[in-house]
Amino acid sequence: MMKLETLPRRAVSVGLAGLSLALIAAFGDPEHFWPSYLFAHLFWLGLSIGSAAVVMLHHLTGGRWGFAIRRVLEAGARTIPLMAVLFVPIFFGLSHLYEWTHAEVVAADEVLRHKSRYLNVPFFSLRAVLYFVVWIALAHLVTKWSYGQDRTGDPRLSQRIRTLAGPGLVLYGGTITFAAVDWVMSLEPHWYSTIYGIKFILGQVLTAFAAAILLAAWLSRTRPLSEIATSDAFHDLGNLLLAFVMLWAYVTFSQFLIIWSGNLPEEIPWYLRRTQGRWEVVAGLMVVFHFLIPFLLLLSRAVKRNVRTLAALSGMILIMRVVDLYWIIMPAFEERGIGLHWSNAAAFFGIGGLWFALWAREAARHELIPVHDLGGLGERASHG
Amino acid sequence: MSEEKGPRVEMATPFDPRAAILAPGHTYASITDKISALVLTRRTPRGWFLGFTIAFLLLMLLLFTAAYLLATGVGIWGVTVPVGWGFDIINFVWWIGIGHAGTLISAILLLLRQRWRTSINRFAEAMTLFAVACAGLYPLLHMGRPWLFYWLLPYPNTMGTWPQPRSPLVWDVFAITTYATVSFLFWFIGLIPDLATLRDRARRRFWRILYGFLAMGWRGSARHWARYEMAYLLLAGLATPLVVSVHTVVSFDFAISIIPGWHATIFPPYFVAGAIYSGFAMVVTLAIPLRKFYELEDFITMKHLDNMAKIMLATGLIVGYGYMMEAFMAWYSGNPYERYMILNRLRGPYAPVYWALLVCNVGVLQALWSARVRRNVRALFAIALVVNVGMWLERFVIVVTSLHRDFLPSSWGMYRPTIFDWTMFLGSIGLFLTLMFLFIRLLPVISIFEMRALLPETAPTPGGGTMRPAEAPTTS
Amino acid sequence: MSERTDLYGLLAEFDAPEKVVAAAQRAYAEGYRQMDAYTPFPVEGLAEAIGFHRTRLPMIVLLGGLFGGALGYALLYYAEVIDYPLIVGGKPFHSWPAFIPIVFETTIFFAALSAVLGMLALNGLPMPYHPVFNVPRFALASRDRFFLLIEARDPKFDREATRRFLEALGADGVWEVEP
Repeated sequence: MMKLETLPRRAVSVGLAGLSLALIAAFGDPEHFWPSYLFAHLFWLGLSIGSAAVVMLHHLTGGRWGFAIRRVLEAGARTIPLMAVLFVPIFFGLSHLYEWTHAEVVAADEVLRHKSRYLNVPFFSLRAVLYFVVWIALAHLVTKWSYGQDRTGDPRLSQRIRTLAGPGLVLYGGTITFAAVDWVMSLEPHWYSTIYGIKFILGQVLTAFAAAILLAAWLSRTRPLSEIATSDAFHDLGNLLLAFVMLWAYVTFSQFLIIWSGNLPEEIPWYLRRTQGRWEVVAGLMVVFHFLIPFLLLLSRAVKRNVRTLAALSGMILIMRVVDLYWIIMPAFEERGIGLHWSNAAAFFGIGGLWFALWAREAARHELIPVHDLGGLGERASHG
Repeated sequence: MSEEKGPRVEMATPFDPRAAILAPGHTYASITDKISALVLTRRTPRGWFLGFTIAFLLLMLLLFTAAYLLATGVGIWGVTVPVGWGFDIINFVWWIGIGHAGTLISAILLLLRQRWRTSINRFAEAMTLFAVACAGLYPLLHMGRPWLFYWLLPYPNTMGTWPQPRSPLVWDVFAITTYATVSFLFWFIGLIPDLATLRDRARRRFWRILYGFLAMGWRGSARHWARYEMAYLLLAGLATPLVVSVHTVVSFDFAISIIPGWHATIFPPYFVAGAIYSGFAMVVTLAIPLRKFYELEDFITMKHLDNMAKIMLATGLIVGYGYMMEAFMAWYSGNPYERYMILNRLRGPYAPVYWALLVCNVGVLQALWSARVRRNVRALFAIALVVNVGMWLERFVIVVTSLHRDFLPSSWGMYRPTIFDWTMFLGSIGLFLTLMFLFIRLLPVISIFEMRALLPETAPTPGGGTMRPAEAPTTS
Repeated sequence: MSERTDLYGLLAEFDAPEKVVAAAQRAYAEGYRQMDAYTPFPVEGLAEAIGFHRTRLPMIVLLGGLFGGALGYALLYYAEVIDYPLIVGGKPFHSWPAFIPIVFETTIFFAALSAVLGMLALNGLPMPYHPVFNVPRFALASRDRFFLLIEARDPKFDREATRRFLEALGADGVWEVEP
């Protein structure tokens, strides 16, 4: 069985191997490499900031469910600086990724000319820096204060986190919305959808949730997490997972139904690209594996209370999150003949390896249960 | 629910009177007596008669308007080309939205195990029912020939036609019917044990028979409670997606079309958040006078008001996000009609309404970040009223500004509500309040049995945590 | 075996929920089976104590929901594809995305209806007459008193022995229930 302490070294080797392969692609086949890298980065970034969002949400609402996954999520939130560093290469690939970076294309297109006040490289870069500053600051403060509670037991820290969590979530919602517009929506610069930000937020939160359940299930095989990660805790987490699966399906279907019904020439191409040929199969798979099967299984009490089944289901959802993001990003490049490519996997495992290495290092550095916040609950939990 | 086990965070802190959801010192008997007395023994306060009279007069205004409308036709309203949807749809959406808080409190907060819902769920559910009744009036009367309303329903008929389900208006028929039915079932199921209490405590024979008939022979058997709790939980599980779907379908009424200002993918979540926002504003508007005049401060505590204010803040911020995305995407789309739509809202003839709604729904709301404001009953009441107005203005802006500037300037027009639009609106408020006053007088406004069940859990104990019934204070 | 027919059972009164749970557990352990408990609010563990374990309600609701969903889809398919095909907005006759909202509503409608009607049917409500109401003190079962009933048709029931047994459980009072 793999241990948390040995994970960083293995993960780093996977990461470096993946990134070296990706580097070969970067020079040999940049047209394929850049979409792969963007996709891989956005998936792992979504996991990081989704984790930070769930942590803030828990500070705001409280609830038994959060304690079992709090430290897993906090370690996830601490990976945002790494993701910021890994974002830097994207600035060098903008011209491969975004049509609107080409002056001659913009000049010939009235809509793009209009948008160029927003979609231009300097402003795009400034915004990207701003987003990362906000995310790093939020994640840093929330996790620092949370770890600090365990060391000092200072009750003012809890109050401070709670005060930050509300405005923090507002900031998170705003930044991720515009980041989604900048980095993904503008891949197809004529298309727009007002629900897009919410769709991204829910996607990231669901990703973080599924990953946290999976990791907590793994870590709860031993103490100390086994003390609080009980069937009751997993039952609650399963219910929340169900809620987020339903919300994701709700938002996804709403966008589809409105655009399908309107059938307007500036909107419908987005779905035409994603429901034709092989992509139709992918869309169908998502209906079944991203919604139908998780939804039906999560209605069952037995599935939610059993750590193994819940973890397996979370794993499936996590895989479907990868598929969903791939389905959102990659068809944008289809017209340029860019599709499935080995660099997709190289970049994905490259960044993922580094992500996991840092995550495991952060997770191992602190108690796996938020000792202070559990306070009076600890006693009950230990024989519960 | 009996599923409640394990640690509860809220109770982990030492007993704090501001955080209590039930004032200390109560017993099973005192809770029962105090709440049932409002219906059975206490003299009806003079204020009730005053309020009921005003509400009833407004209801008469509604009946007058409806009678005149049926005799004359919808021409008495201000709706005309290009604004074919005026006050009817504005008020319809407004009332439906208000109804949403009731279901949210009774269903979603139950699933989230928020025990503070207990003292407000009953009248919030009643509010849902009455709001849905008010909402239902408008589309029916707007049909022009309301006596043919059953044409909306799918049934084999001699005309050989069926309703056309690619239209969201047909979805509305199903959504509103289901919503009204399920809300009623939820409310009535919740009432059964309390009706039994009233049956056992009513002194006069008439009321004993009436409440006894409605209680259907409920006797509190343990087997019955087990099935009852299961049914209640299942209904909550069903009502939660239902309530989201209802305002989603209402938003589809607009978004499925291709009118700039209506055709926006954000409409479903934005409408649902707006509905909850306005609904909680209405719950606060009703709860504050109710607890004051009926001395229910022990049961509807500051904690309740604080929590409701927080939910208003959260949903109000989502609504603000919706406004922002509408404006940003209108610009970003590069579509001249979308851009014109938002410019027209900002600077056109209805600009004062748009700015007023921004002030009401986004500006004033920010005061709720402060705990001092949330715990100030008067300030909270004022903010809730402002939000009620703001959400009505929002629907006005969505409906009117999107329609009155058609694609061709030759088709432009203005919408001016007539006196009958206003009497209809005031009249529906009268209907709502009349039903509310009758409800307060005839049925327990707070769920008695759920308050009893709350008693063992809210009594302060050293170290906090959930108490088992074994530790409950015994009654004398 | 009870030979008396003028007696429905014996009703013991308690003043706290945990007492009635304990009493029910003792009575069950003693071998009584035909019993019921009455409380002013749901008491955790009481249904289990009198030997009630699972309700079939979730299954009824699931079936109700599936029926409602299937009915909704069948209705729309029949109306829009078979009986009255009409081109609207250039959409196909079988416009499944547009069917989903209605199918969703019919699913919820029938599931909710089966939850309520199923609960009432399983509970045998409405019930116009029940012997326990013959005991005047029983009116307090909807206020602050907790009752345990042992029915006369229980094979172990004996008027005197059962009364003594209930009194020994710490009941505040034991009443005979006329049928």
